[in-house]
Amino acid sequence: MDGLLVRSAEELFTRHATSEAVRAIRAGGSPTLLWGEIEASGFLDALMPEDTGGAGLGPAEALPLLLAAGRFAVPLPIGDTMLARAALAAAGEAAPEGAIALGEPAGDSAARLPPGCHADWVLLSRGSAAVLLPIADATPDADASSPLANVLRWPNHAGRPLPAADVLAAGAWSEAAIMAGAMERILEDTVRHARDRQQFGRPIAAFQAVQQQLSVLTEDVFASRMAAQLASVPDGEGIAGLNPARIAAAKLRIGEASVRAAVIAHAVHGAMGITEELDLHLLTSLLRIGRMRFGGEAHWAAWLGRHYLAGDATETLAFVRAHLGPVAPEATP
Amino acid sequence: MIGTLPLAAIPPEDEALRPEIRDFLRGTVPSIPPERRARSWMGFDAEFSRKLAERGWLGLTFPKEYGGAGRGPFARYVLAEELLAAGAPVSAHWIADRQSGPLIHRFGTEAQRCFYLPRICRAEAFFCIGMSEPNTGSDLASVTTRAVREGDGWRLNGAKIWTTNAHRSQYMIALVRTSGTPQDRHKGLSQVIVGLQAPGIRISPIRDLAGDAHFSEVVFEDVMLPADALIGEEGSGWMQVNAELAFERSGPERVLSSAVLLDCWAQWLREAGADTAAEALLGRLIAHLAVLRAMSVAVTSRLVEGESPVVEAALVKDLGTEFEQLIPTAIANILASPGHLAPGPLMRALAYTAAMAPSFSLRGGTREILRGMIARGMGLR
Repeated sequence: MDGLLVRSAEELFTRHATSEAVRAIRAGGSPTLLWGEIEASGFLDALMPEDTGGAGLGPAEALPLLLAAGRFAVPLPIGDTMLARAALAAAGEAAPEGAIALGEPAGDSAARLPPGCHADWVLLSRGSAAVLLPIADATPDADASSPLANVLRWPNHAGRPLPAADVLAAGAWSEAAIMAGAMERILEDTVRHARDRQQFGRPIAAFQAVQQQLSVLTEDVFASRMAAQLASVPDGEGIAGLNPARIAAAKLRIGEASVRAAVIAHAVHGAMGITEELDLHLLTSLLRIGRMRFGGEAHWAAWLGRHYLAGDATETLAFVRAHLGPVAPEATP
Repeated sequence: MIGTLPLAAIPPEDEALRPEIRDFLRGTVPSIPPERRARSWMGFDAEFSRKLAERGWLGLTFPKEYGGAGRGPFARYVLAEELLAAGAPVSAHWIADRQSGPLIHRFGTEAQRCFYLPRICRAEAFFCIGMSEPNTGSDLASVTTRAVREGDGWRLNGAKIWTTNAHRSQYMIALVRTSGTPQDRHKGLSQVIVGLQAPGIRISPIRDLAGDAHFSEVVFEDVMLPADALIGEEGSGWMQVNAELAFERSGPERVLSSAVLLDCWAQWLREAGADTAAEALLGRLIAHLAVLRAMSVAVTSRLVEGESPVVEAALVKDLGTEFEQLIPTAIANILASPGHLAPGPLMRALAYTAAMAPSFSLRGGTREILRGMIARGMGLR
């Protein structure tokens, strides 16, 4: 199943999420063609139960899709929409047509979204409930916006309250998974560059100083992939069975890795790495923005520390075994 | 490129060992003060090793006909995790159980297996590993200790150094040159088992910076070895040593060396309260532990499938030892707040772990050597 899903996602993105297509959408071009293909593939209904028209998959089975979206730096809210549809289905609500972004609350009836987010709706936590708000009714707050996030405002009390969903944790899962995928691609591209680029009469990969940096990058990429897999074990109460403790660990481990990975990748690419021409910046800007969405390392680290201290574990290993252990996909409840 | 590591879990039949082990440890270990438990797998207590042997917990992975339990690597993984998390003094039997026994089982003759393995299982044979020499560290192929054929046996001359537990073990498995010269590098190296009571052996313990003497210098002067001292093929020493290291590098001991300190500190936070900085550090360390453990379990599952994931093991060890070193550094930073008075046992565990932490990324292959192996695995050299 995994293999099949990855192959069809990679096939779709290879054909329709080319570097040119991704750049055009990021520059404000129409996402209709790419979004139409993604919608037609059924990926967006992956996490919805089968009796509501979904594929009934769990987070572990959907993870390869998000990794692939990261590898191709797809600038559309695939993970967000997938999770929003699952949350709405769980609340007995029909999902509206189009893309749904998960918003981060930014005061009363205001949401923070990634820049250039192509969505029609925003699912936003409000107190103990959630609301679904149309982007068309929002006013951009230019003063509060930056290249890291756009802030949108709606009239107070806009939208009908829906049963609450843990939007923050779910969004962090999706973002962490996409970042892990982007880092896998960064590793491949950087290793290839180090073998091709010649200096002092030999490939820069022949220099120990470069090799050791690439080894550190490799370690972080492997750890990030593992963190994303651990976070996808559906033994929690969140959307699609997501578990916030697992997500806390993953978002902070992957956030840490993303900083080191971007520094090494840019360093090995030299000046070429900061040109617009090379795709590297599409991937590293995805990391910078993802790191700041749905809680960064400090937020999740303190959350996880408090969570540990609120329980009665006397050993960190016992806590990790009980709450953050590896559960092989076939053994998933 | 290196393949990805899918999520793997410890099989239920091996998890089933855990409660009994935890019960046993609850009855034996808590009376040991934290600064001794912080010695982790460097804590030596032959009596404790014998108690484990009585339980049948030494040589878990050896076949039953040699006195073992015939279990797989995951049974040993569960046992090792619990022993290390508790800070049990496991050093006496650790190397024999983890490395020497499996090596003898894999490359030894039937007679060697029948002689050594049951003794290891009974905690009667402790082993040390003679690899480093005064002029041979990371460049292991440059060893000059030499075993020369004489009659049926061998005459051994040379010196080994930094040999953990040499002065309190019965046997050493030494990597020695049996033909050629150091210029021949990997060719002409063999492994021999040396009974450490033999005439001509001088063992001098070396005190470390924490005041312990867990490693030694061992000098061989015309030591006569019997014919069956050779383990495996003559000239295959290099290949055998590398096979051994894959087992050594990805286990729980590359993640849990500072676990006693971490748990002492977390317990203190629970009693004294934690500010946001302390909560965040605790959460960060737990997240790293969770990911590293999952990676270590995934590599072990490759070993179970009969693969030899040498590069993946190097990756786990480098990240794992970085984590083990982060624990004392970051906890010291938090505990250095003015007006803080942490309990003495916690501070003594910190003092020991912080002082020894630099060795975590040296023993069993330095950080630079491991990163070189990863680079080779990535096709960079």
